Amino acid sequence: MHKQRRVVVTGLGAVTSIGSGVAAFWRSLLAGVCGIRPFDLFDPTRYRTQTAGAVTDIPDDFLSAADKRRMSRADRMGLAAAREALEAAGLDASREDPRRIGVILGGGTSGLLDSEAFFETHLRGGEGRPSRVLNHLPDAITDRVAQRFGFEGIKSTVTTACSSAANALGYAHDAIAAGLADVVVTGGSDVLARLTYGGFNSLRSVDPDPCRPFDRERKGLSIGEAAGILVFEEAERARRRGAPIRAEFLGYGVTSDAYHMTAPDPSGAAGGRAIRAALKAAGVNAEDVDYVNAHGTATPQNDSAETAALKEALGDRARRVPTSSIKSMIGHCLCASGAIEAVATVLTVESGEIPPTIHYENPDPACDLDCVPNEARRAPVDVAVSNSFAFGGNSTAVVIGALRP
Amino acid sequence: MAHRGVVTGTGAVSALGRTPADFYRRLLAGETAIRPMTAEERGVMQATHVARYDGFSPQPEIPAMKARRFDRGSQFAILACQQALRESGLDVAADPEAVGIALGTGSAGAGALTEFLKVLLLESPEAAPPFHFPNTVANAPASQVSIELKLYGPNVTITQKDPSALNALLFASLALSTGRARAMLAGAVDEWNAYYALGFDRVGALRGAKRSSGIVQGEGAFAVMLEDEESARSRGARPLARLSGIGTAGVPTEPYLFAPDAAAVERAVRGALEDAGVAAGDVGLLLPSRNGVSEMDRVEAEVVRKIFGRPPRTIAVKDAIGEMAAAGGAQLVTAVRAIADPQGLVNGGPRRALVNSFGAGGNFFAAILEPAS
Repeated sequence: MHKQRRVVVTGLGAVTSIGSGVAAFWRSLLAGVCGIRPFDLFDPTRYRTQTAGAVTDIPDDFLSAADKRRMSRADRMGLAAAREALEAAGLDASREDPRRIGVILGGGTSGLLDSEAFFETHLRGGEGRPSRVLNHLPDAITDRVAQRFGFEGIKSTVTTACSSAANALGYAHDAIAAGLADVVVTGGSDVLARLTYGGFNSLRSVDPDPCRPFDRERKGLSIGEAAGILVFEEAERARRRGAPIRAEFLGYGVTSDAYHMTAPDPSGAAGGRAIRAALKAAGVNAEDVDYVNAHGTATPQNDSAETAALKEALGDRARRVPTSSIKSMIGHCLCASGAIEAVATVLTVESGEIPPTIHYENPDPACDLDCVPNEARRAPVDVAVSNSFAFGGNSTAVVIGALRP
Repeated sequence: MAHRGVVTGTGAVSALGRTPADFYRRLLAGETAIRPMTAEERGVMQATHVARYDGFSPQPEIPAMKARRFDRGSQFAILACQQALRESGLDVAADPEAVGIALGTGSAGAGALTEFLKVLLLESPEAAPPFHFPNTVANAPASQVSIELKLYGPNVTITQKDPSALNALLFASLALSTGRARAMLAGAVDEWNAYYALGFDRVGALRGAKRSSGIVQGEGAFAVMLEDEESARSRGARPLARLSGIGTAGVPTEPYLFAPDAAAVERAVRGALEDAGVAAGDVGLLLPSRNGVSEMDRVEAEVVRKIFGRPPRTIAVKDAIGEMAAAGGAQLVTAVRAIADPQGLVNGGPRRALVNSFGAGGNFFAAILEPAS
């Protein structure tokens, strides 16, 4: 085996309900701004709940009118975030070997919102616009990012529901470490859709008010949408070209719960396996973990199971490590959640500022973590873990570290 | 990056056979599952043919009561993965964290998704059946397999057009080489769905009355058990074949357009040969990507002539089962069985197989398999 190549993050991009562009997103996160509110992407009046973390500003002026007509909302958000990330990384595609630059994203719902419109027209006997018909297939965004920026390397789309983007980051890391690519644009873009909004409502998993992760009175999740893009790059190469290195992607763990399609393993054993596998792959110990960006959906089951999982993996340290859920501000961005949460985690590692869990009032003995209630905090963070747990029992944790000499 | 793992088991659940042995026998006998669509299937589409798995039943393996919990794709996948696991002789319970799964798909979840949306859109969101929602995710089949077979290892589903199966195989091989797992089920699953078919018909992908170039859609599940070679041998397994190389290439293009790009095809194939450390002359069997998209088929044939001179023995799997992400899994299973069969197709000549899998959106994969002994 050749020596493992290390992977660093050289660019970030974000499109979210609390700000588009990484700077605006980060300011809002630290200020505890809530993006969960009434929305008008479709008419929510006949659903059980009426709020969501909807994006109101997609910075897609760089796309032509014809491009926008062809593309789904998820495509436009993903391209806007990718453009920001590539510019931040200072990557000039015309001076690179495009065959060494890949695109590996997580997706699932993707452009389903547009496909639903076509489907409804069809069900009612009409003819929809063919350009919108297959927008729900998540690989479209991956192809579009490669198309827009001229990349010819490996392309892949991981679709494991709410851990999709976290697994995409892991695949991107492994592709670079194994020498299949030098740069991989990774992350994901996922938008609100009737299917997921109606689906989580049908399972009675949605809080009518903005969600309250780790709070004793939590009633369920809030659904959000976002695009989060990270540029992963082989470390030596990034140093040689003087790239702005933001953090190191130390490793990840991906496991099956083999427990239940929708319920988490309440013992925490399953989630704990993913976190332990991630720490092992990253070559760090439980004592090294300075921050956890929680999955923290605010469903009664997730937050207590995640608490148990953190205790499984981190032991006593779990109760002391700052552990926040930014879903309290942007909602659960489903297949993109692992991407946008990784963006926030990189920013935390880089700045030593920890975003809070907002809407937190009532401590829950089943969630006895330091969830950074309501106010951002400063603390040095050298090693951070971000969790993503999904339908199907697909559990993933990623480990992001500050730059080491 | 040689020694990406050995194949110790295969699984096939398809219109051309419900076991790998049946599938392989009927494929070689020249049978095809492609048939004319019924008027109901065809509806307003211009497509004329399909390769559905008519009359499929998950019994006896999955009891009827239990089978109701699984969507069609999950039923296919559970059976195919059970077969691959059984043939491998691997004892999952001995170390469940070391065994995982990576499946490709282009359509998993389609049935549950359309059923759920039909009610939500035509009746009301309150009436939408919660029962269907968990199966709308494309990772339902792989996850149902992980629950059924009690796998605690890596679990991913990959969607990247037609080469999704080889993409999943690459993920599986990385899981082995990084030590995340010692054994990975790898393959792909698809279910035919009327609404998805309409979509592909509308974007011009399906062959039919108005279009001589295009694919015929199929369905089914195919899997191989890919194991770390040392760990397979130390437990006394007899590998059927070895995965020795994978090559990939991308072309920037519209997601639903084919990019008939000879340079990309050549880069994927030569990448696989180089990765395997073998020459073109070492390949005795070709499982082509050929799927009825004329421009793509022409470019593939051209590149094969350029690289190989006289093309190796060729089995066009998609002529028999149609095109889908799962077809890549069928090509893999075919390659493994051909390599492992002492009386087989490639007897006397070089016994390495090249699997090509190229899809819309500029996605190109190729893999080399070889005898394990």
